[in-house]
Amino acid sequence: MPYDALDFYDVDSLLTEEERMVRDMVRDFVDNEVLPKIEQACRDGEFPDEWRVELGNMGVLGAPLKGYGCPGLSYTAYGVICRELERGDSGLRSFASVQGSLAMYPIWDFGSEEQKNHYLPKMASGEWIGCFGLTEPDYGSNPGDMITKAEDMGDHYLLNGAKMWITNGTIAQVAVVWAKLDGVIRGFIVEKDDEGFTAPEMKGKHSLKASVTSELVFQDCKIPKDRLLPGVKGLRGPFSCLNNARYGISWGAIGSAQACFDSAKEYAMSRIQFDYPIASYQLVQNKLSWMLREITKAQLLAYHLSQKKDAGTWIPEHISLAKMNNVDIALEIARVARDIHGANGILDEYPVMRHMANLESVKTYEGTHDIHNLILGRHITGIQAFTRTLE
Amino acid sequence: MEVTIIAETTGDALHPVTAQLVGAACSMGGAPTVICPGGIGTSEASTISGVTKVISAEGECFGTFDSGAWADALSPLCEGVVMTSSSAHGREVLAQIAAIRNIPIIQDATGLENGIRVTRPIYSGKAIETSVVSPPCAITVRQNAFESPGSDGNAGISTVNNSSNIGVAVKEALAKASERLDVAEADIIISGGRGMGDPSNFSHLYEIADIVGAAVGASRAAVDTWDEIPHGMQVGQTGKTVNPSLYIAVGISGAIQHLAGMRSSKYIVAINKDADAPIFGVADYGIVSTWEDALPPLKEEFAKL
Amino acid sequence: MTIAVLLKQVPDTTARITVSGGRVDEAAVGKWSMSPYDEYALEYALQLKESGGGDLVAITCGPARASKILTDAAAVGADSLVHIVSDDSGIDSSNIQSLLASAVRRTGAEVVLCGKQAADTNAGSTGPGVASILDFTCVGMVSEVSVEGDGFVAMRTSPSGNEKVSVSKPCLFAFDKATTEMRRPNVRGIMMAKKKAVETWTPEDLGVTIDSPRVSLESHSAPAEKPPGQKFEGAESVPTVVSKLRDEANVI
Repeated sequence: MPYDALDFYDVDSLLTEEERMVRDMVRDFVDNEVLPKIEQACRDGEFPDEWRVELGNMGVLGAPLKGYGCPGLSYTAYGVICRELERGDSGLRSFASVQGSLAMYPIWDFGSEEQKNHYLPKMASGEWIGCFGLTEPDYGSNPGDMITKAEDMGDHYLLNGAKMWITNGTIAQVAVVWAKLDGVIRGFIVEKDDEGFTAPEMKGKHSLKASVTSELVFQDCKIPKDRLLPGVKGLRGPFSCLNNARYGISWGAIGSAQACFDSAKEYAMSRIQFDYPIASYQLVQNKLSWMLREITKAQLLAYHLSQKKDAGTWIPEHISLAKMNNVDIALEIARVARDIHGANGILDEYPVMRHMANLESVKTYEGTHDIHNLILGRHITGIQAFTRTLE
Repeated sequence: MEVTIIAETTGDALHPVTAQLVGAACSMGGAPTVICPGGIGTSEASTISGVTKVISAEGECFGTFDSGAWADALSPLCEGVVMTSSSAHGREVLAQIAAIRNIPIIQDATGLENGIRVTRPIYSGKAIETSVVSPPCAITVRQNAFESPGSDGNAGISTVNNSSNIGVAVKEALAKASERLDVAEADIIISGGRGMGDPSNFSHLYEIADIVGAAVGASRAAVDTWDEIPHGMQVGQTGKTVNPSLYIAVGISGAIQHLAGMRSSKYIVAINKDADAPIFGVADYGIVSTWEDALPPLKEEFAKL
Repeated sequence: MTIAVLLKQVPDTTARITVSGGRVDEAAVGKWSMSPYDEYALEYALQLKESGGGDLVAITCGPARASKILTDAAAVGADSLVHIVSDDSGIDSSNIQSLLASAVRRTGAEVVLCGKQAADTNAGSTGPGVASILDFTCVGMVSEVSVEGDGFVAMRTSPSGNEKVSVSKPCLFAFDKATTEMRRPNVRGIMMAKKKAVETWTPEDLGVTIDSPRVSLESHSAPAEKPPGQKFEGAESVPTVVSKLRDEANVI
């Protein structure tokens, strides 16, 4: 069956022609090159390298960045790209999010002119893969207390510590690593072959199986002086990257939800029980109409957020709400879709359980669902509830 | 009403559609002249009931297929309603004759009535178009849409020599590629399931596929069970989604995953020994039989076509 | 060398076609696309341009919405875009051939590529008709074409398999399913396409008088409902089924 991208309110008609052309291009890539291979990639636990090449050829990496060989698209287009990629798989979208928003973006915003010229063209073309090192084994939601530190050794920096849950880590040529230099969080560009740097892959995931997840280990890792990102100090650096990535996720989750809806509708229409398609039963229709409702709301949310992003009138809390809501409903839609598929839903013949398992990660990474609630809670009350002193 | 039919030939003989064209012409009250390009099949054409005249169109240009050259050479011989088969060659030649003679053209007619009212499928058969045209005009006709008349005719044969410049030079003729058609691209698919019993039995499917130009597909059960059946042949949820004109499912029960990949086929034939198999629920023509019994006559019947 | 490719916008082949009031309801078509055989023509036109140099002109004839496929063509590398604006109603195949032929003449193209037939009308008159009007050599059922010397060499299907044929300019190639799929655009191409102007030519610009159609459309209708599934017992029913496939279903 051809993909019937659910768009009940015709929200895509609000896109520019250019944005729709980008959508169609990525959709075609997903249909022809991702979906036929995704289940095998998950079984093998590998990110197919030809996807990297084609993402580079299409020119979608670092979508909203301008100059230095970057595409220079709107944030809306970036959102659409994330949505179409994640309709294929969250792991594929993660690859693009990390490359664009977490690795290219900090170099583009905080890097020196030399750093931008050196890294960005090759990252936009997909020749070099990037990763982003913020989370540590013991510091996830609380990155401010990170342990990884850098020491100024005069003619170089010395990096020590470890990062965990790093998408693309093992396959990356370039890592943007956040570490404390004299107690202040700074960004460093670490290259694959730097002495004292290793990036072992984390195996055994039940989620994002077609995506590479790694640890980054720094043992007296020597970093030349010109690899410090000069433009930012403190948590504002990583957080500004995360805002962009979270924005992309708020769109991406819709893609997963659309894929699950599509599969559930198709299955319900053709699965006969008690002599009739299960789609003719009220309990199933209730599920489908609830999916339609939530997807439509999520689409409007993402679209409006994209307009604020392009106009520069957004605040991080806007993004928190959209990321939290859209991933939450996407995960719930995936679970309900699995339900509609009955036992067949657990097979990799259908995409629903893969999306469901992927979305469990997406709900947690880039600010957990709960942390986004706390961000909104602080925004509403003015009282931060992240930390407290227990008597 | 004057009708000129340009015969469709295959090798050294008339293609059966030529007689059907005569039948179509007569059904709308026409008195057809049949032109045989390259002089092929003239005596056979003269025996088709209803044919008034046969013209053997001879000329060097008929040695190579160059639709422009053919159109130039044949156009002066055409009168009234000019008809060909809606084969690739027929369409191409007649479109150019129509342009040369400045007459309207309707392609791929499946119905003709006095008037001349022409029906034809459009949007790959998702709709039917009915239009009216008056002579002189050009109409191509779909194969097997009209009955062939008898063969008790005895029309006179005349010969015209009329060649034209050829612009197409054949450098190399290549036999049909020996590699198998891909299920995603074939217009006819014959698929086997686990009911085939053994992968070696797929040879029966290949034999039939070769006769009708079909691709051979398989269900997931067959692909999973037998290493000899590659995943590329798999039709269904995780295999290929196909929509051929004709899908023949042999020894396939019709699991929902298989149906998802082939139910949009235009026509479905199911051969299964289990009368309750779900595949019969989507089949246009179901045959309750073992494949061992059904495939030999199927092959025989297809070979007769 | 100027290369012209003739493109048509049609309802996507996956779109549902509905008939209302005796006409196919175009307003109900969810998605419009470039006709699939035209995509192959465009791909090979790009290849000819890349190997032999020259300018690639994409030409379409149709209502305002059809300019979308010209932009799509520009996104993959068409150099200039020509839109012959015509409202489909009251124009028949002969008129369209005249318009397209005049447009090709105006571009000075010596080689024309097009699909063997459009996915809506399924007719296949346009390519050969245009070739005839222009007195270009016509090669149909083409699956590949490349530059060879001053001319071209093409692969076409023949009743017995395939034939490699050589043709000199001026000529027209009508594409069947080709060896290579149309390339995917990239972001750079899409952004450039947006800036590329579509030239709009009217029949008057082309010096073509639109004759009143000589084929008058009476009606469109939905295809006859398929009869409900029929089940036969035993292998002795095979001849019956085969004759039904031929006469009832018309698929063999």
